[in-house]
Amino acid sequence: MTSLYDVTLRDGNHALRHQLTSQFVRDYCRTADGSGVMAIEVGHGNGLGASSFLVGKSAETDESLITAARESLQETKLSVHVIPGFATIKRDIAPAVALGVDIFRIATHVTEATIAQKHIEYLVAKDVTVHGVLMMSHMIDIAGLIEQASLMTQYGATAIILMDSAGHFQPKEVSHRVRSLRDTIGVEVGFHAHNNLGMAVANAMEAVSSGAGIVDGAAMGLGAGSGNAQLECVLASYERDHVSHSSLDQFLTMSKLVESTFPRQLPRTNASSVESGEAGVFSGYAPQVAEISSELGLNTKELWVELGKRGLVPGQESMIREIAQDLMNL
Amino acid sequence: MSNSKIPVAVIGSGNIGIDLCERLLRDPDFNLVALVGRRSTSPGLARLRSKIPHVLAGGVEEFLTISDQVEGIFDATSAFAHQSHWSQLSPLGKWMVDLTPSRIGQPLVPVLIGKSDSMKIDGTNGAGNYSMVTCGGQSSAPLLYAIASHSKGIKEVEISSSIASLSAGPATRLNVDQYIESTEELASIVTGCQNVKAILVLNPADPPVMMRTTVTIEADYFDLDSIAVETKRIVMDVQKSVPGYEVVVAPYKTTRNRVVATALVRGAGYYLPEYAGNLDIINAAAVETARRHVSALEANIVGSRL
Repeated sequence: MTSLYDVTLRDGNHALRHQLTSQFVRDYCRTADGSGVMAIEVGHGNGLGASSFLVGKSAETDESLITAARESLQETKLSVHVIPGFATIKRDIAPAVALGVDIFRIATHVTEATIAQKHIEYLVAKDVTVHGVLMMSHMIDIAGLIEQASLMTQYGATAIILMDSAGHFQPKEVSHRVRSLRDTIGVEVGFHAHNNLGMAVANAMEAVSSGAGIVDGAAMGLGAGSGNAQLECVLASYERDHVSHSSLDQFLTMSKLVESTFPRQLPRTNASSVESGEAGVFSGYAPQVAEISSELGLNTKELWVELGKRGLVPGQESMIREIAQDLMNL
Repeated sequence: MSNSKIPVAVIGSGNIGIDLCERLLRDPDFNLVALVGRRSTSPGLARLRSKIPHVLAGGVEEFLTISDQVEGIFDATSAFAHQSHWSQLSPLGKWMVDLTPSRIGQPLVPVLIGKSDSMKIDGTNGAGNYSMVTCGGQSSAPLLYAIASHSKGIKEVEISSSIASLSAGPATRLNVDQYIESTEELASIVTGCQNVKAILVLNPADPPVMMRTTVTIEADYFDLDSIAVETKRIVMDVQKSVPGYEVVVAPYKTTRNRVVATALVRGAGYYLPEYAGNLDIINAAAVETARRHVSALEANIVGSRL
């Protein structure tokens, strides 16, 4: 049995340039409550405390988005994404616990699990469910992946989520990683796809058949870059071979709500997303890459490839301009 | 500064402590009398045993037996350890420079002494405790000062730093929140703005990346010409003790009411590699702070004799 985890109101906030409103959070949560998704994640695209000049300012505070979701969810759990280095325990995590968030996902770049120790341990001590998230999971070998995932489980994470943050994987790579982790770390494995190469739903389904206990998706695929696995498509595919407790009709209502509310912000796979997927660069950089390449008259592919060569990780938006200027010999 | 060398001790035999010792050994103003560690097997202690008169493995307790031989102490351990070191050592009445983000001492950025109201050395107090805050704090403060001193109505301040994963030791990794809080506190002091945010990103790229710090200030008004001049001037000051500090994106105004600038810090390579500019800038600041403190004390003594 695989649970579907809904990131529309968090990863989708990248597509909305972090302008998500508490009104839409309410509308969406009321529509999605009881649909069968295990949780609805809400917040800034980079999670708690990430509203910033660097990544983009949120239209509303974490508190107001979380409160709106909390008031609108009865059956479905409420979750948040947290990146240490952006969020702190005191300023961001403790208040979110007090607001009644059910699941915290603590995320680091795939090689940096140790910076999450304090945050995971704090939440475990508060008796809150914690998932460990390894972002940019294509940037490490299998042995390293197992080592980093094990660190997070030692700290107390009860599930490990692999993020294909660059939308880089092919199904066989997903399968290899999910199976390797499932066989070694002793906790549930989750997978979070991006659609840069048009593979998000296929990769999500490959994770299901490789034994992932959790698969992420978003209504209409609303997410960073070319978006996430389209949640309603994942469920429809899942129901071909499995019995599910989710309601496809309700998923389709959620999808229609997103489609009609954000007709111009819906993500798609385009030339730039294929370039970034191939280069293995964080999907969330798409707006900055588009803006800076057009401002400086630079080819987007050249910029994506250089960002990939420099090994940029999430949170380095400010380097894009410097690298673009280097390429232009400015 | 008088002709006699300042006798000092370094506590902490990790990477930062050893780099600091190498720096002090080559500095004509200092006489490094003691290096204090906790483990006799520490490779740092072994490396420097022949170069420093007292290389001690018995921690601060052992150091107390020879502490009368030094005037000042550098603490390069951890924020947690500094708490107990300060309570053990403050009764000695010596100055201390704290390289951890403990937030116990007075936050100090040497290049801003005399420029910013909060950056002062009291020449009448021989026993100060100076905090070097964080690498993000030391690398952002000069830019924040240059921009903030020529803008009006500052609304918000942000500092984001990326450092090489290899340069972040276990203490830093366990204390990312403490890093953020200390860096934010310093940014508030330098800019006078309470609405501040610090972000830290660890980058594992190979070859390792040089540290970069980007500052953003949102304000009602900027005097961009003066900001450009001030930035050049202060960067030259920083480069006197941190030659690898350079502005890679000069202050520019975005479409909104914000000015953004980025500095890169390349390490001097005393002991730590070049990519550890984040550690280099803290060590350089610590040595410079000690030098300025001792000069201020001497000036005060000379002044009172006249």
